[in-house]
Amino acid sequence: MRVKVPQRPLFRHLLFAALAAAVFLTYTAKTDAFTAYKLAGVAFFLVAIAGLNLLTGLSGQLSLGHGALMAIGAYTTALVLRNRAHFPIAAAIILAVVVTAAVGAFVGIAAARLRGPYLAGATLALAVGLPPLTTKYAGFFGGDQGISVRPLAPPAIGSTFAPEQWLAWISIIAALITLVLLANLQRSRFGRAFKCVRDNEIAAALSGINVARTQVFAFVVSAACAGLAGSLLAFYAGLTAPAGFSIVLSLQLLTAIVIGGLGSMTGSVLGAFALVYIPSWSDSLTSHFNLHSAVSDNIPAALYGGVLIIAMLLFPGGIAGGLRKLKAMLIRHLKGGRLHGASPEVLGAGSASVARAGKEEG
Amino acid sequence: MLEIRDLRVYYGAACALDGVSLDADDASITAVLGANGAGKTTLLRAISGLLRPPAGSIRYEGKELIGLAPDVIARLGIAHVPEGRGVIEELTVEENLRLGGLWRTDRADQKRAMEEVLALFPPLEPRRRQHALSLSGGERQMLVIGRALMARPRLLLLDEPSLGLAPLVVAQIMALLRRLCDESKITVLLVEQNARSALSVAEKGVVLNLGSVVVTERADALARDEDLRHAYLGF
Amino acid sequence: MHQFIVLTLKGLTLGMIYAGMALSLVLIWRATRIVNFAQGAMAMFTTYIALSVVDRGGSYWLAFVVALAAGLLVGGAVERLLVRPIESAPPLNAVILALGILLVLEAVVPMIWGGQIRSFPPAFSIIGVTVGKTHIALSPFDIFTLAVLVGVMLLLVLLFRGTRLGLRMRASAFSPEVARLLGVRVGRMLTLGWALATMVGALAGVLIAPVTLLAPTSMDVVLVFGFTAAILGGLESPVGALIGGIIIGLALNYVGGYLSTDLEPLGALVILIAVLMFRPQGIISRTGERRV
Repeated sequence: MRVKVPQRPLFRHLLFAALAAAVFLTYTAKTDAFTAYKLAGVAFFLVAIAGLNLLTGLSGQLSLGHGALMAIGAYTTALVLRNRAHFPIAAAIILAVVVTAAVGAFVGIAAARLRGPYLAGATLALAVGLPPLTTKYAGFFGGDQGISVRPLAPPAIGSTFAPEQWLAWISIIAALITLVLLANLQRSRFGRAFKCVRDNEIAAALSGINVARTQVFAFVVSAACAGLAGSLLAFYAGLTAPAGFSIVLSLQLLTAIVIGGLGSMTGSVLGAFALVYIPSWSDSLTSHFNLHSAVSDNIPAALYGGVLIIAMLLFPGGIAGGLRKLKAMLIRHLKGGRLHGASPEVLGAGSASVARAGKEEG
Repeated sequence: MLEIRDLRVYYGAACALDGVSLDADDASITAVLGANGAGKTTLLRAISGLLRPPAGSIRYEGKELIGLAPDVIARLGIAHVPEGRGVIEELTVEENLRLGGLWRTDRADQKRAMEEVLALFPPLEPRRRQHALSLSGGERQMLVIGRALMARPRLLLLDEPSLGLAPLVVAQIMALLRRLCDESKITVLLVEQNARSALSVAEKGVVLNLGSVVVTERADALARDEDLRHAYLGF
Repeated sequence: MHQFIVLTLKGLTLGMIYAGMALSLVLIWRATRIVNFAQGAMAMFTTYIALSVVDRGGSYWLAFVVALAAGLLVGGAVERLLVRPIESAPPLNAVILALGILLVLEAVVPMIWGGQIRSFPPAFSIIGVTVGKTHIALSPFDIFTLAVLVGVMLLLVLLFRGTRLGLRMRASAFSPEVARLLGVRVGRMLTLGWALATMVGALAGVLIAPVTLLAPTSMDVVLVFGFTAAILGGLESPVGALIGGIIIGLALNYVGGYLSTDLEPLGALVILIAVLMFRPQGIISRTGERRV
């Protein structure tokens, strides 16, 4: 008997999400608190990464400022919950999303005309420029010490249900909702618009797409994701402090989408796992080899940097891209075609650059 | 001097040159003709090393060129004036010219070369210190040919020098090429869409169509063959 | 009024340093059409190397020279080994590569030298000079900074405009393909371009380290300021980098003095966005429009 897979993408996505929810929620409920905690991390990083992937992979806009956007989400939540013991968590999270999306709109509009390295530079300036605000207005933002965030209290399900598991549940649900929405967006006319603008702006504009509005929209959506992720990060860390939102965070997100492959949803999942588990692996490496903390603290960042360098040198398409290339190679081999000339996997900027390169051969 | 055998070049899956063979004799002008997209520019780029053909051979005075870097090929005495002229607009006229022969070690000779080139192209002299951006089409063509000559090349590859120029200027340039050939014994491979002008100064004509050689013939015979002219050369 | 003069003089000095960083970005941009986001981190790295020399008892001047030499080596090596293989890839790849280098450097440096903030000695006294009875807010070190940066820029101008090598480098930057056809070893020119650029960056690093103190991330801000200055100056011209640097130095020092040092990076962001929105080709541009 063949299982009938629903045809409409929305239903497919919902079904998949429901299954995933069933699997992960049960698993988290059964497993130990530490693993649940880690899964929570994977989940909300996934939200941030998927959002950034929409912006960079699908829409071709490289943002180095998403760490700062996560900070906005985190601080919004922390501030709104400070000294308000009974403020509903959901409201705090939603508020974070809204505020960050608004900032995203602002940044998106300012940066709508920027491309490539100019956008990267501007968003880098944002990433470097926002954290010092917490020191300047230390009274409000808590300065270097930051603002502590109380842990999420699980409802009375049972005494064995730890706060970490509750956090994991919330994060996983948030991640699944986000993924379903993003997947649908990708398949919708907006998704097509993103890709059109990424590949060839002029052609997109000529076919009636409002380029600026599309870019801003992508920014807003990805900022909303970053805000959500930042909000959950606040609960995860129990604290929001500027040190947690340096440019390394933005670059970590970038590394995650490079690992997974720009524009690839499944790749995002891979990237999220990498971001959470690489630091803990390096922690165990540290204790195993008795490394100095100066070394161990920096192993993850060194690894991320190394990944970016190696990826650009060897696998511009990330793991997902590498697999695609492999598949294409196999197909070519099987068909025995006489195809000369490499077609390099390109990043985000997509087919337009390859086509241009081919034309330049003249 | 130049022997090309069975040259193949692909762009992706498309075939740009499909087994092209031709010879350019010493101290002669060989015109390479044909419509747009026939492969003429590709041919020159393969010779000067900007492209690496996966099959075939290009021999220059017996030496195989395929696989050599463009700057190495240039230093063998082959000067390629590319499609679009290749004027470096940000540099002055004089800097463009100097650049042409910079790799040569004999500075005194380079000084002489500069004087010779400026004598050859009088309009350039008063514009020596101007940025090349400000030159007209004809002046640019003079500049890039002069720049190529600074290197005292033995083989000159020219890609559509007549493009965008008035007939009078075209005639002057063609006449100049003939003089260079006769007096300095330079071999010229002249890619042109303006077949009539090219054939008026060339010894031999090679017609390309869709990446293949359709005819190799003496220039005067080619110019007289009405069927061929109508079919491939546009006049 | 007095504060204004103090801020102006200091802003001028800082501006020259930002101009140095901007210049190194411009040199690399002109040569390889890449914005080297790792330039700040590379300058930080070479400054730490200089610090090692000082720690081991070497003189300041030895450390100074070592920093510059390290800049040449690091820049040349990065171009040859990491940038060259991806020169035909889309520009986004080069940006990500540079960011990878940034991460690696900012991670490896604390592994070797520890992460704590270090002080770096200045070349000369940082106390303001007194001429007769008046105390000027410019110190010997400031004057040295200005002199050295101006000197280096003049030397570069001399190199580029007055020598055969410089001509080759410019041609390689403007039209690499045509340059190749003219017998120029473009690859070597690009490596040299990166080496010189990183040397200038190293110089900026050594000059600003006494002011900002040295930590693995202390040059991030300098990079942002240098980038802003470079964009303001038009990215294409060293003169633009100089002017952009001075303007940024002054503007941000006023922000820092009258408002708060914490707001300086945001100030840079505002200037950056303003320039990119209203005059993306910068102050000095030969080609007019630019797609940003």
